[in-house]
Amino acid sequence: MTTTKIDIALNLLNQQLNQPLTAALEVCARCGICAEACHYYVAEPKVEHIPAARAESLRKVYRSEHDLLSRLFPSWTGAERLTEEKLAEWADIAFNKCTLCYRCTINCPMGLDTPLLMTSLRAIATATGNAPEVLEMLADAAIEKGKDPEIYLGFYKESIKDMEVELQELTGNPDASIPLQKQGAKKLYVALAGAHTILPVAAIFETVGEDWTLSIFEAANYGIFLGDASRAKAIARRIVDEAKSLGVEEIVISECGHAYYVMRWVAPNWFGDEFTFRVRSIVEVLAEYVQDGKLKLDPSANSEPITYHDSCNLGRKGGILAEPRVVLQAVTNDFRELTPNREEAYCCGGGAGLVALPEAYDLRMMAGKPKADQVKRSGAQVVVAACENCRLQLGDLSGYYGLGIGVTALTDLVVKAMRLPGNQKTVEHIMTLETANSGEHDNAEVWGSTDLVSLPSTKGDRSEPKSNV
Amino acid sequence: MSFSLLSQILVFLALIFTVFAFGRKLKIYAQLARPVDRAKPKGDLQKGVLYAYTLGMAPWSKESTRLHALAYLRGVAFHVGIFLGLAILVASPWLGEMPQYVRNILGFVIAAGALLGLLGFVARFLEHNLKALSNADDYFAVLIVGLFLAAEALWLFFPAARVLFYLVSAAMLVYAPLGKIRHCIYFAYSRLFYGRFIGSRAVLPHSQQNAR
Ligand code: SF4
Ligand code: SF4
Repeated sequence: MTTTKIDIALNLLNQQLNQPLTAALEVCARCGICAEACHYYVAEPKVEHIPAARAESLRKVYRSEHDLLSRLFPSWTGAERLTEEKLAEWADIAFNKCTLCYRCTINCPMGLDTPLLMTSLRAIATATGNAPEVLEMLADAAIEKGKDPEIYLGFYKESIKDMEVELQELTGNPDASIPLQKQGAKKLYVALAGAHTILPVAAIFETVGEDWTLSIFEAANYGIFLGDASRAKAIARRIVDEAKSLGVEEIVISECGHAYYVMRWVAPNWFGDEFTFRVRSIVEVLAEYVQDGKLKLDPSANSEPITYHDSCNLGRKGGILAEPRVVLQAVTNDFRELTPNREEAYCCGGGAGLVALPEAYDLRMMAGKPKADQVKRSGAQVVVAACENCRLQLGDLSGYYGLGIGVTALTDLVVKAMRLPGNQKTVEHIMTLETANSGEHDNAEVWGSTDLVSLPSTKGDRSEPKSNV
Repeated sequence: MSFSLLSQILVFLALIFTVFAFGRKLKIYAQLARPVDRAKPKGDLQKGVLYAYTLGMAPWSKESTRLHALAYLRGVAFHVGIFLGLAILVASPWLGEMPQYVRNILGFVIAAGALLGLLGFVARFLEHNLKALSNADDYFAVLIVGLFLAAEALWLFFPAARVLFYLVSAAMLVYAPLGKIRHCIYFAYSRLFYGRFIGSRAVLPHSQQNAR
């Protein structure tokens, strides 16, 4: 007997049926009040954009498999058998129509975890060959790189050497360095591909005299977007092993929502006792420096009206809500909140891997409309986002809706407010880079590349690829 | 055997069936894996759970319930009516001696619950999104529960309506574990998981606090 995609999907669904998933499948009252919680619905008020309607697609099949009344009278409960067409519909819903933002959950009177259902659908889509190829490719590439980092290490070290020259210019300290593979360092900083997530942080660490080392791996984890625990775990494993072998006290994740989410909240469940270090986002570390008075910051250095976009993975799903505001209050005199914000913030519309799918451009421009409207209403000229994914999306939204805003990372503002000797030039380059992300382009390249998001050199020419392995 | 006695036996059997069926469902549910979260909490787990069951249910605590305050309050009041109605049903054999004015007060409360249920039923027909989300089970569930409350109110006002009250109650009780009404047994779990999530991650009720 051949195993069909339907069998694979149903088996996987059954395997996943634990208490939280079953509760999410059973508890919906179909009251519909979660509609406006979803940015897709706010942008385009259609029934299909109601979170409960999305989840209903899975529930219909669940009922036909697990509910007596539905097996006897399927039309009474709207139960449906799983078909190949439905599998394709599930993949579309899970990857394109939901950014796993958790906003519907905090708005549901039942606390119903719709993103959990959507993650289950992602896992099923991946297992049945219906997941977006780009995400699979990026995940597999990361795993491959992790298998033999030596191949890339020489090249990477060269890139870091070049970056150190920039760091020395920026800080005015000829001895400033970017430590790699430093045994016994306190912090292991895991950046994203590209100098823009390394150089500002290196400058900050250098200034406060932090005992740190840079990871040879990048923080991004495409396995989690696929709902594929084994691939996500393999990607996280590289960093866990590195942290263990260096004996660090903590892993600090770059300004990246999903990377923080995976390492902080998911990975400890995969690695158990191996997880002997703590995990923090660089945003938490920055807030600590500010509160401890370790950084001298001049808020007048950032004179434009600035607002902050709460990344779902950091904020609503990670509790990093107060920390960015602590930092922002210290680096600008004109900080304005978006409304709503914090745990009620709207998703940017490009989360959960959507920003990496070239074919999803129109969709995420539509889904990002509530965010674009919020930004416009705030009157801010600069939007800060502590997540690369969000920054790419916000840059695209700015181009699409003619917002004319700058999009930047929190660390960039901090560096600017530090008024370092080489500050002006470097920060201008960073801002140029961040605002360059507007208009239609292939963000999969940006996400997956080793050089596209490199910081332009302070010497005027573009830096060599600044890839983490 | 009189109709009255028959209806009493019927409702008693229905009650046993419901308790047994829900008990079985809960037993099966309890056997499912409950993932242990080994990530070190950032916030306070207990605070999150407490919030999920208390203030987090307040109409002002969420954007959705602020936007749909009337519908939400209607739903909450309807459910309060249901639980009171069930308590009265269970106690009904001993309520015969109650003074009529007490019965009338209870009757008005339960009738209000029935009316709110009926309004919910009509809303499902009239409101575009609700209608699109609903299946026959959704309509029937709210209808049968509404009828149960209406029959109970009638019996409270007019004790002679006991047979009707028990027959409708028996029908509702038998249907409860089979159809959508069973979502009630998962409510506590869903809020628990939600509370643990927002609590351990310091999302709520911590969000307005300082970083430290
Ligand atoms: S608010 Fe919750 S219970 Fe109501 S329809 Fe949405 S998911 Fe279902
Ligand atoms: S998780 Fe976010 S995107 Fe997905 S259905 Fe809920 S509100 Fe919409």
